[in-house]
Formats: sequence, structure tokens, C-alpha cells
Amino acid sequence: MAEIVVENVTIQIPIYDIGASSLRKTILSKTVGGRFETSGSYLIVDALKDVSFEAHDGDRIALIGNNGSGKSTLLRLLSDVYPASSGRVKVVGEVSPMFDPMLGMSMDATGMENIWICGRLWGLSPAQVKNSVDEIAEFTELGDFLNVPVRTYSTGMLLRLAFAIATVRDPEILLLDEVVGVGDAEFFKKAFSRLQDVIHRSQILFLASHADDMLRQICNKALWLNQGNLVQYGEFESVLAAYRGRSKVTA
Amino acid sequence: MSNTTSLDPSVRGSRGFLADIDRDLLAGLRAWPLWTMLGWNDIRQRYRRSVLGPFWITISMAIFITLLGVIYSHILNIGLKTYLPYLSLGYIIWGFISSTTAESFISFQESERIIRQIRLPYSIYVFRVVWRNFIVFLHTIVIFIPVAIMYDVRPGMIALLAIAGLVLVYINQAWVTLSLAILCTRYRDVQQIVATAIQIMLFATPIMWPVSALGPAVIIADINPLHHLIEVVRAPMLGEMPPILSWVAVVVCSIAGWTFAILLLRRAARRLVFWL
Repeated sequence: MAEIVVENVTIQIPIYDIGASSLRKTILSKTVGGRFETSGSYLIVDALKDVSFEAHDGDRIALIGNNGSGKSTLLRLLSDVYPASSGRVKVVGEVSPMFDPMLGMSMDATGMENIWICGRLWGLSPAQVKNSVDEIAEFTELGDFLNVPVRTYSTGMLLRLAFAIATVRDPEILLLDEVVGVGDAEFFKKAFSRLQDVIHRSQILFLASHADDMLRQICNKALWLNQGNLVQYGEFESVLAAYRGRSKVTA
Repeated sequence: MSNTTSLDPSVRGSRGFLADIDRDLLAGLRAWPLWTMLGWNDIRQRYRRSVLGPFWITISMAIFITLLGVIYSHILNIGLKTYLPYLSLGYIIWGFISSTTAESFISFQESERIIRQIRLPYSIYVFRVVWRNFIVFLHTIVIFIPVAIMYDVRPGMIALLAIAGLVLVYINQAWVTLSLAILCTRYRDVQQIVATAIQIMLFATPIMWPVSALGPAVIIADINPLHHLIEVVRAPMLGEMPPILSWVAVVVCSIAGWTFAILLLRRAARRLVFWL
């Protein structure tokens, strides 16, 4: 059984190297909405402000909100990359983040070597990597190309490989950020169904995206963030409708 | 805003994260298959498509040592038979010390994408850097074999002590790399300071000249921890017992250094990801 309880979590991110440049401060505070406070030589951004929510088995949660609203910060909190500045996070179950499928790819290594390097980085055991090699080869349709450096691959081939490796996993809690388009249309279909398989195997899913149609296919709940505040959390359609309604008004 | 601590390991408050840091080093050590793999891959990447691969380092160092050896044996008026084995060992060990130090700066920066995405022990990235430089060291230490044969260096059983010395050097360089990796990630100026220090210390440490050349000013070598680090490996391989002072200095330096590095990691770990 997987469970997430987030209680009153605030994340303050220090931004260094701003120095005495008041011009940059002004620009930043205009673009991200005045959430900055100065502390000594660096700025502090409240990336999440007093956020509380719970997630349980079967929850497929869409993270929605404008760019810079805190979606990625929330995902990084759940994956333990960012510590909470205050508040409390309880996570039961193994968290499996997938923000950037290209993680750990070395361009000069062969496809096969990358399966090993990336697979191990994603937390697979040597046995798991070994067992998934054939399946990755079949899915990517790369054949003998797996034995040449990935530097020679086309963008589509590279993404296919990265995506195939990144989706070998049995996640309890799956965190996805902006699922990228994978190659041509035909392959995208194949990739999407593979992604859905992984999602089905997970118990809790967080998916940050701006693509309403994809969210609608996958998610049953939505969590709306705005400037680090949790605006609304609940049933997918009603939160999305509120979010779209409000966006229209402000637009 | 509650800062509740709980014995429940699934709870991560601001305190829970700190408790994780205490386990960082142990978890990092346990993940040795990962960092040894990453370290090997770094070396393979660096020399991909070059015929001689890492042996380029061997060749360039061999040329440097030969050239410098011939010239300095004249300047210092020491026979090549004594000087060349001394210089080659000292310079090769120095190579390991200086390259781990120099690459410590990028330990976290080169792994930024990983650090921002998945939570692995921070020590993994540091162990990776030390390991790959140890691989380079193994490629260069072979230079000593022809030198030893040519000048009939027969250290005998005492040479085995060099292994103990090397282990101590490795442990020591791990804390140096960890500390500098943290400091340089936060304060980018530290990098410049240390880079300058490395250049200076090559000349200020008995590597290209013998300790005896100092005469009554031997204190200059005695107070230099780098000298002792080199001495615990170099002396046994030349068939000499390193002075007790060197052993003590290296052990004390490692213990004190690791204490410092652990305290630093504890202080820094909560913010490290924001410094990248």
C-alpha cells in the first residue's frame, strides 16, 4: 500500500550569484510574480507555500498550473531531491521519478552500454537490466544499432532508447514531468501505450503536464498550484474546469 | 508550521532529511557497483576512439619524467640511479593527489542532471571521481617497472608496506575531494585558490628534489602533509621504511579530515542541490 501525506510544507529556494544586481532582481520579481525576498547576498524564492494534501492507492494526480507555479518543485519534494524548509512529508512506498528520460546517457557510449549505465542509475539491479535487454531491443527496433555509439543516432532513435530504458520499472509511486513527444506519430502511439503500462503498474501517480487531453486519459484527480500555493485539489474534471475558467478570466 | 520528528522512517520533515545525511556515506559505500561503473565509463569516454586510450597518460608522464630526470639529476648533482626512481614514484603519486583535488571541483557539477532528478547518496559522485583517478594512477604506476629494472631497485618485502600507504592516501584523498566538492559548489572562488595551491605545492613538496637538499631547513618537509602522503608510498617502494612521523601525520590527517568532511556534509547537504 502506498501513501503520501504532505503537511504544511514550505520550500524556500536560495538563488545565488544575484549579487548587488538590483536590475535582475526587479526583472525576476516581475516575471515570477513577486515571491522573492532578499536575505544577505542571495534571494529566497518560496517555491512552495504551506502546502498540505494526501494521496492514496489508486490516485492518478494531474499537477496543473502555469510555468513556475511549483509543479516541478513538488515533484522534487516527493522524490527527496529537495528538502522541505518546514513542514512534514510522509511517504510510504518506493518513489520512482522520471523527469528527464535522457538521464545519464553518455553520447560516446554504445546503446548497449547506455542500457547498463542508465538502467543502473534508474535503480535497476544487474539482473533486472540483463532481463530487460531483449525487451528494450525489441521495443526500440534498434537492432544492430545498439552496438554503435548513441552519438550516431538520430534524435528519434535516441529518445526511443532513453524512453525504453526509463520505462523498465515497477514503481509504487511514479512521478512524471512533462512527458515528451517520442519520435514519429506511429512510435508515439507505441510509447504512450508503454507509458500507460508503467502507470498501470504504479499505485500512485503524479503527472505534471499542460496537455489536457493526455491528463484526461490518465488522471482521476488534479492538484492545481499557483505561485507555490495549492489552489485546489480534488476530482479531476472539476479542478481542471476551475483552472481553465480562471485562466480564461485572467487571460 | 510543524517540525515534528518521528521515529517512522517514512516521515521526512526538515529533520528527517538530516538523518538521511548521516547515512549518506554508508549508503554511498554500499553503492560501490554504481560508482565504480560510472568511474570506468568516465575513463572509457575520455579515451574513446583513441588507439592507446588511457596509456596516453602513461606515455606523457614517462616522457616528462625521463626529460626532467635527466636535466635535474645534473642540476641537483644526483646520479640517475638514485634520482630517477625517486622522481618517478614521487611524481606519479603526486599525479593521483593533484588530479583528485583538481577534479573535486566538478564532482557535483558534472552530475547535476542526476542530482536534480533522483536521490542518490551525495558521496557517490565523490567516490566516482576518486575511483576514476585511481584507475589513471594504476595506468601510470607501471612506469616504475622499467625504471626499477633499469636501475636495479630491489625494495624487498618492505615494498608491501606501500599498499598500506596507498590505502591511506586513497582514504585521505576521498575526504579532500568530498570537502572541496562541497566548498567549490557553494563558493566558486575556492576552485581558483586550490588550483593555484596545487601548482605551488608541486614545487614546495619534495618530489623533484630530495628532502636532504633542505639541509637544516628540513622542517619545511616535516610540516607539509603532502610530503608525508607521498612518503608512505614512495619510501617502501624504494626499500626504505617511512619515518614514524609520516605514518602518524597521514593517519591524523585522515581522521581529522574525515571528521571535517562529515561535519561539512551535514551542514551543506540540505542546501547542496540549490547551489548547483
